[in-house]
Amino acid sequence: MTDTPPPADMEIVPARRSPWRNLSVVWLVPLAALVISLMIAWRSYSDRGALIHITFENAAGVTAGETQLRYRDVVIGVVEQVGFTSGLENVLVSARVDKDVATFLNESAQFWVVRPEVSTQGVSGLTTVLSGVYIEGAWDKKGGEALTEFAGLEQRPLVDVTDEGTRVTLRLSDGNTLPAGSPIFYRGIEVGRTEKPELDSTGTVVEMKAFIEAPHDRLLTSATRFWDTSGFKVSFGPGGLRLDVESFSALISGGVAFNTFFSGGQPVETGHVYDLYVAEEEARENAFSRASGASVTLSAIFSEGVTGLSAGAQLTYKGLRIGEVSTMSAFVDDQTSPPEVRQLVGLRVEPGLMGLPDDATLDDVLAFLEPAVENGLRVRLAKASLLTPSLVVELVEVPDAPAAEIDRDAEPFPLLPTTPSDLPDLNATMEGVMQRINGLKIEDLIAQATSMMASIEAIARDEKTRAAPEAIVGLVDDARAVVGSEALQALPGELQTVVDELRATVAKVNEQRLVERFVDMVDSAYESADTITAAAEQAPALIEDLRALTRKVSDLKAEDVVASADDLLQSLNALIDTDAARDLPATVNATLSEARTLLTKLSEGNAVENVNAALDSARQAAESLERATAELPQLSERLDGLVSRSEELLSAYGDRSEFNRETLSMLREVRSAARSLADLVRMLERNPNSILFGR
Amino acid sequence: MLYSRAPGSLQLVWGWWLAGLIMYIPANIYPMLRTSTLGHETANTIIGGVFELMHHGDYGVALIVFLASVMIPVGKFIAIGYLAVSVRRASAMRLRARQHLYEVVEFIGRWSMLDVFVVAILSALVQFKFVANIHPGIAAVSFALSVAFTMLSAQSFDSRLIWDADEAAQE
Repeated sequence: MTDTPPPADMEIVPARRSPWRNLSVVWLVPLAALVISLMIAWRSYSDRGALIHITFENAAGVTAGETQLRYRDVVIGVVEQVGFTSGLENVLVSARVDKDVATFLNESAQFWVVRPEVSTQGVSGLTTVLSGVYIEGAWDKKGGEALTEFAGLEQRPLVDVTDEGTRVTLRLSDGNTLPAGSPIFYRGIEVGRTEKPELDSTGTVVEMKAFIEAPHDRLLTSATRFWDTSGFKVSFGPGGLRLDVESFSALISGGVAFNTFFSGGQPVETGHVYDLYVAEEEARENAFSRASGASVTLSAIFSEGVTGLSAGAQLTYKGLRIGEVSTMSAFVDDQTSPPEVRQLVGLRVEPGLMGLPDDATLDDVLAFLEPAVENGLRVRLAKASLLTPSLVVELVEVPDAPAAEIDRDAEPFPLLPTTPSDLPDLNATMEGVMQRINGLKIEDLIAQATSMMASIEAIARDEKTRAAPEAIVGLVDDARAVVGSEALQALPGELQTVVDELRATVAKVNEQRLVERFVDMVDSAYESADTITAAAEQAPALIEDLRALTRKVSDLKAEDVVASADDLLQSLNALIDTDAARDLPATVNATLSEARTLLTKLSEGNAVENVNAALDSARQAAESLERATAELPQLSERLDGLVSRSEELLSAYGDRSEFNRETLSMLREVRSAARSLADLVRMLERNPNSILFGR
Repeated sequence: MLYSRAPGSLQLVWGWWLAGLIMYIPANIYPMLRTSTLGHETANTIIGGVFELMHHGDYGVALIVFLASVMIPVGKFIAIGYLAVSVRRASAMRLRARQHLYEVVEFIGRWSMLDVFVVAILSALVQFKFVANIHPGIAAVSFALSVAFTMLSAQSFDSRLIWDADEAAQE
């Protein structure tokens, strides 16, 4: 056997295990967790937005972590911290704003705290009652350099920075009437808002920014005028009582209106300065007076007192405003002895208002005025109104003024000649009134009134006055008898018969000679009709007499009344008695009878051959006759009218008639007037002042 | 293959432990609940919620929330970390005590989900449109993950390692 060598010792080497092979997969989990955590951290950091700081004077209701920052009512951030600026001057609110929005926060950004607010313009911010206040922001959309420090506003700005429009400046003398936020109207439509009135740097003028929204800002030109519409206006004019209220809001908190009264203005830029007038009328007036701008200055010297005249008083020419008083000064006139103090008044004249070109120079104006002055144009003081003591200056033409001319070389301005004014002195006037009252001969007046009443009474008691009505009744009876006479009444019927017969006969008539006679006959009938008309024409005269009689009675010349009435009756009787009137029916009748006889003869005779040739003439004659007949009813109408008037007159004179009553009441009134007059005189004797100051 | 001891057990423990710890950080930083009442939104972190409850005088509830959301998770991290370290080196603590500690940690771990349940139930129930609304925050998810990871960590721990360490020490 062979010995086998023992096997070499086995070298046992532990397998080398990589430390990584043991590594468990589980380590991926914390790795993933780490990644997720970092991602969450990064996202929330990047989403966090920008921190901005807003300073407020007062941050009532702003709470850190709760108060939101909003833009157009959308939440864009939350207040993180509320603190103070250094020195505790202001409240510093730090807010976290969305990243997307933060880039827009340029220098135009405005922030304010929204709180519930009730004002005349409405109620706003009601939602904040429940949700608490929030901070609202506004800015334009231009972007640009983003800021992080802002100064907050105390209130919502009246004009949003995002609004398009034009900002102008209004100048006024008193900021009291217009609070911030007053509406601006154009023809009653609200087109803008005003901001808070502020004093300018000199302290003399109140300036107020106003914002006119687009597109209404196109209406603004350099010729635009603004005026105050605050409150209401009551005016009394020819159109009656007027109450003007622009709007409820304007009534409570004031408002401004504007309009452009004339064309030709230039478009304005932001920041244009306008004057704010007190009322529309003034704005309208100034629209014309300030339109030209160019003005020349003249002067006048008044020797009389100028109390009541002030700078700015109107200068008028033929009632039109052409300028105003610009300066007033006094100087010593040493050309008189002793030297006098005189008032030099500067007059600013606007050539444009006188009809001259706007750019007329002083020479142009003087060239225009010089011929007028030669014709008597003078400067005069006049009262602005009856009630106020203020004066105005007017240019008037004095017809026979002493010759004068414009002193071109006078200093400081060319001097216009003046004429004394006819200002009534109120005291003198009152004195004159008293003197006149004293001078009244009231005693005589009463004596005359008494005697007049006595005369009236005497007339009324006179027998003749009472007899007058009866006489008139007689007159009317006579007249009625005339009208009612059978002859007169039968007249038309007979005429009709004649015409009928004539027509029947005319068919047979053809002889020229007969027709001529016939025409003659008709002419005479026509003449008689004329007589009737003439008689009738006297009737209106009669009525006039009656009227005159009435007038005379009312004129209280009653002595003549009876006589006139007598005369009237006599003339009436005479009229009725005239042959013309009395014989009228008979004449007509006779004529007609003759005509009838003639016609009968004609019809009996053989003279009908020539009738055809003369038929037209006959027809004309018949027409003339008809015309004559037509006037007869007028006559009877006139007579009827006469009768009815006479009747009225008679009834007026009857017992307890209107006449009596009126006479009696007139007497009573005259008596009471006399008594009142006596009382007045007595009272004035006791206390003359009472006419001025009442009892 | 049979192993007398679960291989890589400690690695698993440390892995889950670390993941749980990482998730526990955002769970405390970010808001757990976003409550909006009448358009007014508030967000509360866990600690912030505890303080809010205390502010309103609900000390009992504050204590429960504090225990469940802060004490227990933190205690778990410490306990698991201690156990994992103690199997490698000598420990002053007795073996039986450590065994008990492990059992307690494993038992109590699931109760930390209390917070998550509260958030989930509130979010589901309180949805009154404008009047009141509750939404879970990022922290709720983080916290749920954190609790889940620590439970896995505790489960991965092989308790026999405690005794192995003792034998090694005796030899």
